[in-house]
Amino acid sequence: MSYHQATYDERLLNEFRSGSTFKIPGETGDADALIPEGMNRKELPLPSLAEYDAVKHFTRLSQMNYSVDLGIYPLGSCTMKYNPKYADKIASMEHFSEMHPLQPEYSAQGSLRIMYELQEYLKKISDMDAVTLQPLAGAHGEFTGILIVRKYLEDTGQLGTRREIIVPDSAHGTNPASAAMGGFEVVEVPSDSGGMIDIGALKAALSEKTAALMITNPSTLGLFEKNVVEIAKLVHDAGALLYYDGANFNAILGITSPGIMGFDIVHFNLHKTFATPHGGGGPGAGPVAVKKRLEKYLPVPRIGFDGNKYFEDYSSEKSIGRISPYFGAFGVLLRAWAYITYHGSDGLEANSRKAVLNTNYVSRKLSKYLSDPYGGVKKHEVVLSSSNTGERALDIAKYLIDNGVHAPTIYFPLIVKEALMIEPTETVNKDDLDAFCNTIIEATKAGHEDLQQRPLNLSVGRIDEIKAARDQILTWSLQKN
Amino acid sequence: MKGRKTITDKPKISTYDVTPEVDILPDENSAMMDFIGIKSDNELFSDIPSAIRKRGISINKGMSEYEVVKLAEEIGSANSIDNYTNFMGCGIYDRIIPSAVDSIIGRTEFLTSYTPYQAEFSQGMLQSLFEYQSLISDLMGMDMTNSSIYDGATALGEAVRMAHRINEKTEILIPENIYRSKMDVIHSYSAGLNLKFVTYSFEKGTGYLDLNDLSSKISANTSAIICENPNSFGIIDPNVTKIQEIKGDALLISYVDPISLGTVVPPGSYGADISVAEGQQLGIHRQFGGPLLGLFSFRKEYLRKSPGRIIGMTSDTKGKRAFVMTIQTREQHIRREKATSNICTNQALMALASAVYLSVVGPDGLRKIAKVTISQAKKLRDAVSGIRGYDARILSGTSFSDVLVKMPKNPADVQKALYSRGILGPVPSSALFSEVKGLGNTAFFSVTEKTTDAMIKHLVDSLGAIQ
Repeated sequence: MSYHQATYDERLLNEFRSGSTFKIPGETGDADALIPEGMNRKELPLPSLAEYDAVKHFTRLSQMNYSVDLGIYPLGSCTMKYNPKYADKIASMEHFSEMHPLQPEYSAQGSLRIMYELQEYLKKISDMDAVTLQPLAGAHGEFTGILIVRKYLEDTGQLGTRREIIVPDSAHGTNPASAAMGGFEVVEVPSDSGGMIDIGALKAALSEKTAALMITNPSTLGLFEKNVVEIAKLVHDAGALLYYDGANFNAILGITSPGIMGFDIVHFNLHKTFATPHGGGGPGAGPVAVKKRLEKYLPVPRIGFDGNKYFEDYSSEKSIGRISPYFGAFGVLLRAWAYITYHGSDGLEANSRKAVLNTNYVSRKLSKYLSDPYGGVKKHEVVLSSSNTGERALDIAKYLIDNGVHAPTIYFPLIVKEALMIEPTETVNKDDLDAFCNTIIEATKAGHEDLQQRPLNLSVGRIDEIKAARDQILTWSLQKN
Repeated sequence: MKGRKTITDKPKISTYDVTPEVDILPDENSAMMDFIGIKSDNELFSDIPSAIRKRGISINKGMSEYEVVKLAEEIGSANSIDNYTNFMGCGIYDRIIPSAVDSIIGRTEFLTSYTPYQAEFSQGMLQSLFEYQSLISDLMGMDMTNSSIYDGATALGEAVRMAHRINEKTEILIPENIYRSKMDVIHSYSAGLNLKFVTYSFEKGTGYLDLNDLSSKISANTSAIICENPNSFGIIDPNVTKIQEIKGDALLISYVDPISLGTVVPPGSYGADISVAEGQQLGIHRQFGGPLLGLFSFRKEYLRKSPGRIIGMTSDTKGKRAFVMTIQTREQHIRREKATSNICTNQALMALASAVYLSVVGPDGLRKIAKVTISQAKKLRDAVSGIRGYDARILSGTSFSDVLVKMPKNPADVQKALYSRGILGPVPSSALFSEVKGLGNTAFFSVTEKTTDAMIKHLVDSLGAIQ
């Protein structure tokens, strides 16, 4: 396909010299006399430019940026599906966007209802018993889950002994990072040759020191952990808790659930599964759900309903407290509510089925050209390797972006060499899947020299990342002239 | 329809017919299934044991776009916001948002993009975030800023962790009037560390932090001192600038109001090592408290110990200026359990909003906004103090946005009575503090540059009428 990204030699904001034109209504008063001595700021070194210059600047920058609305984004584990426009419209309604979080309950019944309904939705989708909406991203949800593990251990007198959290070697990096943040030691278990958790190794790792096992199912290899029931039993028999990383939930909605599989704690990535826009890397939202016996440890407030009105529920005395200051990323929660309401039970399951069909189609198409280390039926994503082609995954990625398609996630999971982790999602049609696969196939045939010079069609060519790390120019004032 | 295969056990409609946002052609699915070599998509789920199969989701069936928008409007109408005069602040403020901000962050090239893992494809977001890092560093008077944290409270939590990483000491000094919500978040963030929190007090008359009390609590074990300016009483506190003289080896973490920095000295000028703030006021709608924006700045010698994502300037193979995520060896996807934080998704779009805000408002605009805020706070303070039973002069320090008012009765009752007169506010002190004693019936009315003299008169008239 032919593609060329917009290219501007766009200045930095501080290189504009047009002068600010911003006006405010401007009541008058003598602020200077009120500012305590020594507290008056003299220099305010911000760029001064006209509004039109600022708008041109950011509009040009936007044209040098790829997004879902420009084409497919098969970035494995990130679940970049289409973000429906009705959700944006609802989020921009003044009755939601201008609410203050400290407004009294009687003035905020609408927002409280949205959150209550979302809690109920998430319970029914996951077959868990109670939900907090407070965590602000998937990793924040993981950390919340870890704090719940801590509180449970403390409450049951085991915090002194259960100091280890087990994660598979295919886990997202956030899992070990969140576990370590919560003060636990991380124990890694390997995957077996089929990409499943090595049960023997898991048995050896589990002990009276184990606090929890964190897993993703389907895994980051796109494979369903078929031994999950046995794993749940092993973990529970060892007296530990089982944590579900919900990053890959999109593949199984309506087909199975973490509650049925035997998990104790789950986080959801609303921005993935329920298609809220990712905004260049955030905001997200990472609600957490738990089984009944852990409900009392959830952060407060949760949203309750007494049959007549919605209220903020602070009643839990054993709560971990707060993980963020208010109710969570309400604007994101609202969009997820809209998405779930629109799709309903039938649509959510259909989306999962279609996502899995698309993945297997891509997997089958590409496994003739790239190696498929684990084979078999895939779920939401497929991890292939470019090792067989002699080309680096990075170089194939640059060929793809040069042709107007976002590249898969590369070099993850860490256990696959030259990994390309592809997640097409349900919102891509066959034509786009074919075009994507053909571009990858072209890349494998393009030849080493051709790949090395890519990208040629983007606003910049291959970027020197080593220089960035060495020079550490992290603000414009650190620029060397 | 011709050529469709049975793809679920529900016979009447194909599951895919209800995937509404893309046109799914049954023939296309058939072709894909043929290619894979399956007759039903159920074969793709044969790896999920029947014992753990779910029988559908027990929520409503899907609805049309028209219906979901109507439903949201109906639910939203149970929220009170339009036609209400707002005096609620205490961390989240109703400030003027230049139209350009929503216009730019609504551009789908930004809104629907993802973390710029492929830098050459994502220069727009990367340059914007580099500019954000630069703008916030200059606003704070600090060397460096990461490309965002979830919100001000979690930024404070990360700052405490970072201070402990830097000097491995275990005591954190905290103002006793810090909001309970922030303190709870700090506690959550430090649950895995063996830290001790010690509070220091405030002067009764001025509302300034008590330097003597603070000084007496600094020890060889002090990792960091947290200070706030304006502080949680809403007061611009000149004593924060004196902490550097007494802090010794301890690090200084300052929590500031970014709008106040339009006219109040920045934390970099009084020796802050880490500066954090809630960035909501920089062009972000209140949204019932989220998403927000955590500003996180620090001195350059602590770069390797800092949390979160950082964008750096470099060049491409032809020497053209380019931007890329850098210093990633601190991050979770590389360092896993040894990472400086677990942050993955951050608040990139909100960071962009604040960059657009600051570039449209400019230094003169920000100065004006800050000054009007201070003078409106003074007007409100004087006007409310003229009402029998109300006193807004219990602290002599200058209020920035939040004005502490003593009331003749329970603030929640005042709040309810004002609500019936179309006013939102005040925020009762009891909702904010847990450590401060003796505040009795006090609450905060908050102003911004949107607060007109007429609004203050409306408040005063209403307070007079509800006595």
